[in-house]
Amino acid sequence: MTASAENGVVWPGPDPSASAEELALLPRAQSDRALTEELLNHVLQPPPWLGRAILVAGGLSSVLLAAVLYTVLTGIGVWGNNIPVAWAFGITNFVWWIGIGHAGTFISAFLLLLEQKWRTSINRFAEAMTLFALVQAGLFPLLHMGRPWFFYWLIPYPSTMGVWPQFRSSLTWDVVAVSTYFTVSLLFWYLGLIPDLAAVRDFAPERWRRRIYGVFALGWHGSAAAWRRHRIAYGVLAGIAAPLVVSVHSIVSMDFAIGVLPGWHSTIFPPYFVAGAIYSGFAMVLTLMIPARRLYRLEHVITRDHLDKMAKLLLVTGTLVTYAYAVEIYCAWVGGDAFERHLLLEVRPRGPMAPLFWLVIACNCGSPLLLWSRRVRRSTLALFALSLTIQLGMWLERLMLIVSSESADFLPAIFHGYRPTLIDGGLLFGTLAFFCFLFLLFLRFVPFIPLTELKALEFELRGRK
Amino acid sequence: MSGRTQIWAEFATGSLVLAAARALRDLGHRELSAFTPYPIPELEEVLELPRPRLLLALVLAGACLGGGLAFLIIWWTAVVSYPLNVGGRPLNSFVTDIPILFESAVLGAAATAFAATLGLSGLPRLHHPLDAISGFERSSLDRFWLGVVFDQEVDPDLPGALQELGALRVHRGEAAP
Repeated sequence: MTASAENGVVWPGPDPSASAEELALLPRAQSDRALTEELLNHVLQPPPWLGRAILVAGGLSSVLLAAVLYTVLTGIGVWGNNIPVAWAFGITNFVWWIGIGHAGTFISAFLLLLEQKWRTSINRFAEAMTLFALVQAGLFPLLHMGRPWFFYWLIPYPSTMGVWPQFRSSLTWDVVAVSTYFTVSLLFWYLGLIPDLAAVRDFAPERWRRRIYGVFALGWHGSAAAWRRHRIAYGVLAGIAAPLVVSVHSIVSMDFAIGVLPGWHSTIFPPYFVAGAIYSGFAMVLTLMIPARRLYRLEHVITRDHLDKMAKLLLVTGTLVTYAYAVEIYCAWVGGDAFERHLLLEVRPRGPMAPLFWLVIACNCGSPLLLWSRRVRRSTLALFALSLTIQLGMWLERLMLIVSSESADFLPAIFHGYRPTLIDGGLLFGTLAFFCFLFLLFLRFVPFIPLTELKALEFELRGRK
Repeated sequence: MSGRTQIWAEFATGSLVLAAARALRDLGHRELSAFTPYPIPELEEVLELPRPRLLLALVLAGACLGGGLAFLIIWWTAVVSYPLNVGGRPLNSFVTDIPILFESAVLGAAATAFAATLGLSGLPRLHHPLDAISGFERSSLDRFWLGVVFDQEVDPDLPGALQELGALRVHRGEAAP
């Protein structure tokens, strides 16, 4: 090490140990100052379209408000649910939204532990997506209870009724899993955010902004000791969140698998659901990221290489999902359970929901095959279209899974179809709008590209001489 | 502990502060500290920062507390307070407790990891003594500060040496107790 480094130091000098592939993740060498200015100005001087977009999304969210109010005031009879199809849209939406959340934690936790440098540009984004998706997910079981104002009955508290939640029920596990997941995701997100909030505090020209961001930065100063603690705690949280993300959707799947309904009662459900969750979540990350990187001109931070890697993960999880479908059908075929066979070999592919079934196969098993092509993986338009297709497919999969099993279980006498109502559609649309609204607010007020992590990556790749 | 002085030097890049920290340590200075906009693992090594054992121990304790508490609640409600015979299954059915025990242990660990990271770093705080140095706020953006503590007399050659190492400026202040 040369101890007589001078002020006119040549910067950046490429680190000989950084490979070309790694350097491509940050193709444009930028000084700390330039990176700070560029990324924080997205927050301090928001683009003109953002305010209008927030207004529109906020306005559309009123659909959710109206649908929720109507449901709560009237009762869930306004939904299309019936007996035997008691879960229908509500639980479909719950499972879909919660699955979307899983990609955020996967990116932040698993990829951190695996030291994947490409996660740096997109992790904050994906984590925020997780939080907002969980908010939407949580709404549905609450409403589905019928009397959501008694939600606290799910929590063990000493009541005069003298009864307790039934902890042997997978529905109670679900409450614990989802609330833990939300809390841990929030803590993980916020811990990573604190240094960036401190950067906004120290960068903002206005006093009021310094104050507000200062409060949220909790007085962070990046002493080496604080950084060491932060770095290690972040790693520990990632280590905790990684098994958590697997456990949460496993537990969600047990809501089904522990039941005895044909098409649900299967040991393949936990891994099948986890793969599906991460699959739909990666699709949602792409749906959000592709427009954002273009509108904010972030092509040098979220590069085509990033999209390419995301697309490869879509391909992997899509293949896992296809495998799970195949195993499910194969097991029904060789298993010898008449009800299981009837459901998986008759009702789903040939019954009244057959168009849905084949659409699911086309969206979830067929469309990702296009990702074998490098050209598709590097085309933003194709990826965007694919990401929407996959999300549609995953939503339909949950609907098909829930409604087909419930509508045709053991007694043909009680077989019953299902039709959603306008309120069902309004709730789904409303959560989509509300999700966009929250996400746009996040883009408006939070440094959505992890600034400090990006600077650290820049230093790691090019900063050492 | 009054009377101890601390010299602070401002650097423009991470590699400069790293080189300066190494040089100062080679000169025999032990009480070094640094403020940087992003974590630099090598700098932590040069400053000889210990492994945060307390933090890790607290996280483990948090996990045990979370899981333990959950088990106590489940066991007490199912066995003592409200025993419910479901098809003759055992009241204390540990296997069906596993999901909740795991989630609760995770929750306990994550909450303590978060709280301990802030708490051990003295956060949240409203004011930091170094904020008095003008321009110190850039330590969270693009400037790197290295501090040396002196018990008695400050080495008169040090400011010059720091400037030679690339310091943009050198500040002299009272060391925090």
